[in-house]
Amino acid sequence: MNFEPEGEAAMSSNQEPGMRSYVGIVIGLMIIVVIEVILTYQHLPTRTLLYSLLCLACVEAFVGIMYLMHVKYETPLLFWTIFPSTLFVLVLLNYIWPDAYRMARMSLVK
Amino acid sequence: MHDLSAHAAPHHAPPQGFIRKYVFSVDHKVIGIQYTTLSLVAAFIGMALSWAMRIHLAWPNASIPFLGTLSPNGAPGGVPTPEYYLSLMTMHGTIMAFFVLTAAPMAGYGNFMLPIQVGAADMAFPRLNMASFWVTFIGFALACATFFIPDGPPLSGWTAYAPLSAVGPVAGPGQGWGQNLWGLSIVAFCVASLLGSLNFIVTTLDLRTKGMTLSRLPLSTWGWFINAWVGLLAFAVLLPTCLLLVLDRLGGTSFFIPAGLVVNDKLLPHSGGSPLLFQHLFWFFGHPEVYIIILPAFGIIAHIMPTFTRKPLVGGWKVITYAMIAIGALSFVVWGHHMFVSGMSPYMGMVFSVPTLIITIPSVIAVLVFAVSLYGANMRFTTPMLFCLGFISLFISGGIGGFFLAQPAVDSYLHATSFVVGHFHFTMGLSAIFATFAGFYYWFPKMWGRMMNETLGKVHFWLSFVLVYCVFMTMHLMGFTGAVRRYSAYVADFMVPQIPTNRFITVAALLLGATQFIFLFNAIWSRFKGPKAADNPWQATTLEWDTPSPPPFDNFGGRQITIYHGPMEYDGDASLMQTSPEKAIAGT
Amino acid sequence: MNQPILAIRTGHEGTGHEVLMERSPYAIDKKKLGMWIFIVSDACTFATFLFGYGYMRVGNQNWGTPFAFPTILNGILMTFVLLSSSLTMLAAVRATQAGQKASANKWLGATMLLGAIFAALHLREWFKLISEGWRLFYNPTGGAAQFGACFFSVTGLHLTHVVSGVIALAFIARGYNQGRYDESHVETAGLYWHFVDLVWMFVFPLMYLMNAQTK
Repeated sequence: MNFEPEGEAAMSSNQEPGMRSYVGIVIGLMIIVVIEVILTYQHLPTRTLLYSLLCLACVEAFVGIMYLMHVKYETPLLFWTIFPSTLFVLVLLNYIWPDAYRMARMSLVK
Repeated sequence: MHDLSAHAAPHHAPPQGFIRKYVFSVDHKVIGIQYTTLSLVAAFIGMALSWAMRIHLAWPNASIPFLGTLSPNGAPGGVPTPEYYLSLMTMHGTIMAFFVLTAAPMAGYGNFMLPIQVGAADMAFPRLNMASFWVTFIGFALACATFFIPDGPPLSGWTAYAPLSAVGPVAGPGQGWGQNLWGLSIVAFCVASLLGSLNFIVTTLDLRTKGMTLSRLPLSTWGWFINAWVGLLAFAVLLPTCLLLVLDRLGGTSFFIPAGLVVNDKLLPHSGGSPLLFQHLFWFFGHPEVYIIILPAFGIIAHIMPTFTRKPLVGGWKVITYAMIAIGALSFVVWGHHMFVSGMSPYMGMVFSVPTLIITIPSVIAVLVFAVSLYGANMRFTTPMLFCLGFISLFISGGIGGFFLAQPAVDSYLHATSFVVGHFHFTMGLSAIFATFAGFYYWFPKMWGRMMNETLGKVHFWLSFVLVYCVFMTMHLMGFTGAVRRYSAYVADFMVPQIPTNRFITVAALLLGATQFIFLFNAIWSRFKGPKAADNPWQATTLEWDTPSPPPFDNFGGRQITIYHGPMEYDGDASLMQTSPEKAIAGT
Repeated sequence: MNQPILAIRTGHEGTGHEVLMERSPYAIDKKKLGMWIFIVSDACTFATFLFGYGYMRVGNQNWGTPFAFPTILNGILMTFVLLSSSLTMLAAVRATQAGQKASANKWLGATMLLGAIFAALHLREWFKLISEGWRLFYNPTGGAAQFGACFFSVTGLHLTHVVSGVIALAFIARGYNQGRYDESHVETAGLYWHFVDLVWMFVFPLMYLMNAQTK
């Protein structure tokens, strides 16, 4: 049984892109992947590479969520529910890094 | 204009046959009762474990009944070895924290009441709900099974710190299959919890009946809803933590086992792991977990109090709800206060200490709302109300201990002493349990259609209230004198003078345990022989009281439910059901 | 926003009762909302694994970067396969929304096939690594033993999600053809499928590219 409030039906026909746009989006994601691979072989410092790859991955995830998973065409409340809660956990997990670096400094195996 | 297809209401025909009605039921009411029953059984098992521990602490050479039969290796002649004492402690904590405190107020009452309180016929995903219960049951069975395997239950505490929990049987009895079963039990509980949270969230958002705006939700529903979000995010991190632990144990990995570890004279081949990582990941879940335990309690107290004070809570629904939201959110940023002495970076000590002190603000606001709401009340001292008052007292007492522990300098001394044991028992074990009792006495008529005995209830309350202070406030004092927790014997000179105090606590604890049988007798006897309950015996206002006791299969018999008021329309003897179209009397 | 809408709720003996309910604040089917909530929790689970991997990597100085270009190439191929499967999944959802059953089946089948190809490529890579001596607890290049643990656990969890997704899609397709499921079910499954793809967007750079031999 499909739930289709009057609002969404109107929204879908106006804003949702056609299949061609989706093909374009997926190709765009593939291009980002290729950029990531090229960056990998540029002999960058490890941390620079990491941050660049993470940035690009976040861009891919954002595009994927907004377009492939349709969030751009849903109510803003959905975006503001899932994003902050997930990001909250992701940001907090970064508290573990000081101890990771201390472990490296104290490590027996170098 | 209107789409007549099912927006959200699940529809299923009434079940036939004993198995579909009472065993594998998709009815949220049956599932709620199943959870509550599981918690009751778990509570008595957990209590029995605590009796064994307490007797051993007071009389170290005493033979504890049944223990020798249960584990001839662990308790030869009925006297637990130090290792077995730790096993008893581990399972006491695990069973109580997970299968009693997380299950009963949230999954038990929440499952029964939440759909009714929002005006729905069932949860959003009834079959998922049934799966959640049975997976919890499997988890509980696995936990209990640890007592019957040859090596016994694990001894690493409910916190299962690595590397002790990660290295396997070399670490001691129970660290073989005992710990494995424990890990699987917790994994099952995580999965069930996550699915349960999902159900609660979608039901609260999508299945509200006409007029039930979020501002008119009963406060217990708010408590369950906010708690579902906290649980969703917290259990999502515990699950991988336990999986990594299981990998360390069974897969030969070293996520949590450092290099050069010698256990029982054996040098382990692992290297490269970090016990601190386990603590970080575990407490990332572990601290929100204690708020997962207390948030439904806040919701239940906020829901019950107005019924018996006959006036709305101070500040209406907003103050309490925003306090609960703040507590839920802040609960994620304080976990390091369990790790002040773990060897974690000292800078992180301050990073965690400050939010820990900040989180006291919404907690205090919530308790103050409860306390101040008593002013000007038309009090009805029923058993549920007494337990609400007890909750206020217990949470304040326990909470004050938190101020001490939140500061690394003070915590360095108090960590791993009885002070901490007293603190968390007050906040979790007592406050949450008293709220659970309040809910039990309050909702018993609705769940089983009969009234519990008031006299027995009051006796249960007063005895419990006095005795819990005897047991757990004394522990705070013992903690100041340096009594170390998780020790099965008094090995140091300075601990010898604590033995009489210990005996006092043990006697009080055993009496406290005996008191609970008054409650159990009352519950079971009333279930079958209690006077029949009316639809609304407490003259309350929320939707669960607008339907027969117990409710029919689809909660409201298919009739249209329309909401006109918030849940706290009380003014002395007068009260207005949420479904009453009359003008508001309390202006909420 | 709070306009109630009509919904059917059956009472006893299957009699239909129309009842008015509050509108969902998200204006989406409850299955979709449920799937989003699940995705939030699953994202946190994957994140925990990846943070654990990061911690191990930072803490172990002798990590090493053992993946030669063929492994990376295989990874790129797997990524493209998964991205394509997201496209076919979108096509399937659109077909169900347009009521085109045959087209929907075609695209659902294509998605499942691409998912299976991903799994096959992944397993082939795993077997190759295992034959070289890699284990959960052993690194044949002499670097940190944690490498195997992190690699197999993270990619293993992801692979489990992919395989479960393919199986789930099979059930959804069957239900759709039998008329028990409609476009909302397919769309909900699509959400899960895209999520699994997006997780790979993080796993591939962090697990493969960061460990590539770039000499």
